Amino acid sequence: MATTTLHEAQPSLPSPPTGAAPPGGTARRVLRELRRDIGAVLSTAFLVLIVLMALFAPLIGTLAGHGPDTFDSAAVDKDLGGLPKGSLGGISGDHWLGVEPQNGRDILVRIAYGARISMLIAVSATLLTTVIGVVLGLLAGFYGRWVDQVISRLMDFLMAFPALIFMIAVLSALPAGNRPVLLVIVLSVFGWPYLARVVRGQTLTLTGREFVEAARASGAGSRALIFAEILPNLRSTIIVMTTLAVPGYIGTEAGLSFLGVGVTPPTASWGQMIANSVSWYQVDPMYFVIPGAFLFGTVLALTVVGDRLRHALDAGEAS
Amino acid sequence: MRRAVLSCAALCTAIPLTLTACSGGGPAASGQAKPTADPATGGTVHFLEKPDFSHLDPARGFDGGVNNFYRLIYRTLTTREAAGPHSDGTKIVGDLATDTGRASENNKTWTFTLKKGLFFQNGAPITSQDVKFGVERAWDPDAGIGSPYAKQVIAAPADYKGPYQSGDLDTIETPDERTIVFHLKKSYPQFSSVVAQPNFTPFPKGTGAKAAFDTKPIASGPYEVANYRRGSSLELVRNKHWKRSTDTVRAARPDSFVWTFGLDAATIDERLIAGQGKDINAVGPKVQPATIARLQTPQLKQRTLAGVTGCTTYMSLNTTKGPLRDVRVRQAIEYAVNKQTTVDALGGSALATAATSIEPPSIPGRDATDVYPSKDGTGDPEAARKLLAEAGQSKGFTLTVDARANATEQAVAVAVQQGLKRVGIKVKINTIDTSTFYEVIGTPSQQHDAALTGWCPDWPGGTTFLPPLFDGRLISDKGNSVLSMLDDKKIQKRIDEIAAMEDETAQNEAYGKLDAEIMKRAPIVPLNYSKTVLVVGTNIAGAHTSISYSGGIDLVGIGLADPKK
Repeated sequence: MATTTLHEAQPSLPSPPTGAAPPGGTARRVLRELRRDIGAVLSTAFLVLIVLMALFAPLIGTLAGHGPDTFDSAAVDKDLGGLPKGSLGGISGDHWLGVEPQNGRDILVRIAYGARISMLIAVSATLLTTVIGVVLGLLAGFYGRWVDQVISRLMDFLMAFPALIFMIAVLSALPAGNRPVLLVIVLSVFGWPYLARVVRGQTLTLTGREFVEAARASGAGSRALIFAEILPNLRSTIIVMTTLAVPGYIGTEAGLSFLGVGVTPPTASWGQMIANSVSWYQVDPMYFVIPGAFLFGTVLALTVVGDRLRHALDAGEAS
Repeated sequence: MRRAVLSCAALCTAIPLTLTACSGGGPAASGQAKPTADPATGGTVHFLEKPDFSHLDPARGFDGGVNNFYRLIYRTLTTREAAGPHSDGTKIVGDLATDTGRASENNKTWTFTLKKGLFFQNGAPITSQDVKFGVERAWDPDAGIGSPYAKQVIAAPADYKGPYQSGDLDTIETPDERTIVFHLKKSYPQFSSVVAQPNFTPFPKGTGAKAAFDTKPIASGPYEVANYRRGSSLELVRNKHWKRSTDTVRAARPDSFVWTFGLDAATIDERLIAGQGKDINAVGPKVQPATIARLQTPQLKQRTLAGVTGCTTYMSLNTTKGPLRDVRVRQAIEYAVNKQTTVDALGGSALATAATSIEPPSIPGRDATDVYPSKDGTGDPEAARKLLAEAGQSKGFTLTVDARANATEQAVAVAVQQGLKRVGIKVKINTIDTSTFYEVIGTPSQQHDAALTGWCPDWPGGTTFLPPLFDGRLISDKGNSVLSMLDDKKIQKRIDEIAAMEDETAQNEAYGKLDAEIMKRAPIVPLNYSKTVLVVGTNIAGAHTSISYSGGIDLVGIGLADPKK
C-alpha cells in the first residue's frame, strides 16, 4: 500500500548546501555510488527489462505469435475444465510462460501488456501526486498562517480517511468509462498529502535558514525565494519520495484490480491475472506464480533503487 | 421463464486460503457406497451454499434452486416425479390431487380432486379453499412476482389484485372440500404442468400477508422450517402431520436438513473434496471450473454427479439497431462466433456443450439441425465475411454487448469478442451489475445491440421456450423477454397454430421445426447448453440430478447411506 510505504519513507533532512555543488557533479557522484551497489544494479536491470517489455509489448506479441487477447483453444484441455495442457501451466516453445486456463491466452504477452497498464497508472499517479504535493506543500510551508491552516487540515482530512475502502467504494460506484484515468485520479487524490506533508515540513525549516534570510534581505521576491532557494534544496527529498511512491501505486493498482474495481477485462493487468489465478492455485500454480513474481520483482526493484538513491544522496550531503 | 441462476465465480468470491486441506481424497474408496444408492432413513443432510434462497414464499421465489427446495416443505396439485435410476424427473404426476387433472370444454376448464389425509404443519386439514387461496396470491402486486403462468392462463378480472386486496376470485371454484375447478382464458393442454408451479401451494385462508412466508412458511410437505437465519443458515425438521401414504413422490429419508449460506464457492469445493467430519453428509452447488481437473481420481469420480441444466446460453441480437437490421449481418454474426470458446469460458466440456439450435437437447421434439453449421461449432469466418460483404459491411462495425459483471459472464463476453474480431466486428463489452441486469436488458430503450443471457424452460416442451422469446406481440416497454425485438408476423401466426394443437407430441415436433425457421432470421446466437458437475460427501445416497431443477440434485430423494455417521 502506498500509504505505509510513504509514511516510513520520511527521508532525513538534508543539510543546507552552502557551497552548492554543480547539479551535474551530484548526479555523477550518485550514479557512481549506485553502480558500486550490486542490489541497485540488479534492480535497475530488472526495471529496464520491465520497461522494455511494456514499451515493446506489441513486438513481443508478434514474436510469440499471440495477441494479448488471442484465444488458443488447442493449448487447454476442454475435458479438465480448461486446464492448460502440459506441465508448468502449459510452458512450451509456443507459449514461453504458459497459458491462462480456460481460454489459452499467452501469459508472457499478457504480462507485457499488463506491465504497460501498471507502469502507466503508477507513473502517471506519481507525477500527478508529485506536482500537487510539491506545490501545496511549498505553499503551506512558505506562506504559513491561514494558507498553512487550510492545506494542513485538508491533508489531515485525507490522511485520516480509510483510503482503500473509499477507493473501492468510489470505483464501484463510478460508471465503467475510462478505468485507467479514473484509477490515476483516485490514487492521486489520496496519495498527495504524504509528499506534501514532508515538503511542508522541510520548507518550514528551510524558510528559517540563514541563506534564505540573506536572500530575502537582499531583496529577493517570494517567487525567487521559492524557485531559487527552497525548491533546489528539496530536490533529493522529492526524488527519493517519488521513487518510493511508484511501487506503492503499482501495488495499489494491482490490489484494486484484484478486488475487481481496477481495469476491466479483457485489458490485461497483473492484479487481475492474480485475482483470476486464485481459484486455480491448486491445479495450475504457475498461473499464480508468474504474474505474482513479476509484481513482486517490480515492487522490490523500485523500492531497492529508491532506498539506495536516498542513501547515496544523504551520504553526499553529509560529506 | 424460470430465472437462470448462474454461479458467481472467481472475482466475486473472496480469497480461498484453505491451504490446510491437504488430505485430498478423503476416506478410502473401498466399501464406499455410490451416491446414487438407496438411502437409509434418518440422519441430517447438510448443504454448503454461497447465496441464500431468493424467497421461502413460493409465490415470490422462482428459480431452479428454490423450486427444488420448495418440494421439501410444500406440496402442489401436481408435481414432477422424483428423479431416480428409472426416471428423469420430468413426468407430471398427482401430488395433492389424485391425478393430473380432468379437462373439459376443450381444455378450458380443469377439475382436480384432492387426496384424503392432507394436513398443514399445524394439523389443520388442507382443503380446496386453501389451494384456491394459495393460487390467488399470484395476483397480489407484492407477492405475485414468481411463476407467471397462473396469471397468464387462468381467467381473472383485469382489476383483480389478489386475496388480500380484492378477495375471492370467481374463476376458481371449490364446489366441495376436495374439489377445485379452474376456468382458463383459453384452451391450455399443458395445464397439468402449470399446477405443478410453486405458486399453486396451499395456505390457510388469510395467512401470509406482508411476506410472512419468507420467514415463517406454513409447511404442507414432509418437512417444516425449524430455524432460519437469513443469509446464514436454515434448518428443516420433519412435519409430523405429513402422511407418507398420501405422497408417492417424496421419499423424505433424512430426519433433518441443514443449509449453511455465505460460503465461498472455492471453499465449498475444498471442503467437499477433503470430506472431513460432518462434510461427509454434505452437498454443494455446481463446482468451479478449476475443480474439474481435481475430480479425476477414482475416489472422487465415484462421488461426482453430472447433470444438464436444460438451459440455453445465448446472445440476443437487437434486430432494430444499426447494422443488425440487416438479416445478412446477423447471419454473419452467427457464423463468426466461436461457440467452443464460450464453452471453455464456462469450464470446458464438463460444464457445457456447444449449441446448434435454440432448444436444448432436453426438449422433446427438438430438431438439432444447425442452420449455420461449422466444424465443432468453432464458426465459419469465411462464410461470415462473404455475408458481411453482401451486406456492404465488409469494413466491420462496433457492436455493444451487454454482459453481467461476474467473472464467468465476462469470460463468455471476451470469447464472443474474440470470435467476432475475426471478421472485423469490434465488440464493446458493456458491463451491467448482476442485480439489475435483467431489468436493464428487459427495457428496450436501455438495451444495446446484443445481450449475453440464457433461458431455461419451465417444463420440457417448446411452449415455454420459443413463444416467450420470439412472439413479437409480447414486446413490452419493461420486463421484455423478446430481447431480439423480432416482430415477425409469419412466426406469430405459426406460434398460434402450434398453441392450438391438441396433441402435445405433435406440438413439440412443430416447435422443433419452428426453431430452425426462427434461426433463419438470426435473432439470437445460441452459444451453448450448460451442464452441472457436483461433488457430494461420501455418506450421501439417493442423489440424482434433475433437469427440472437446473441440474441440481432432486432433494425429495436424497438421504444418507449410514445415518449414524
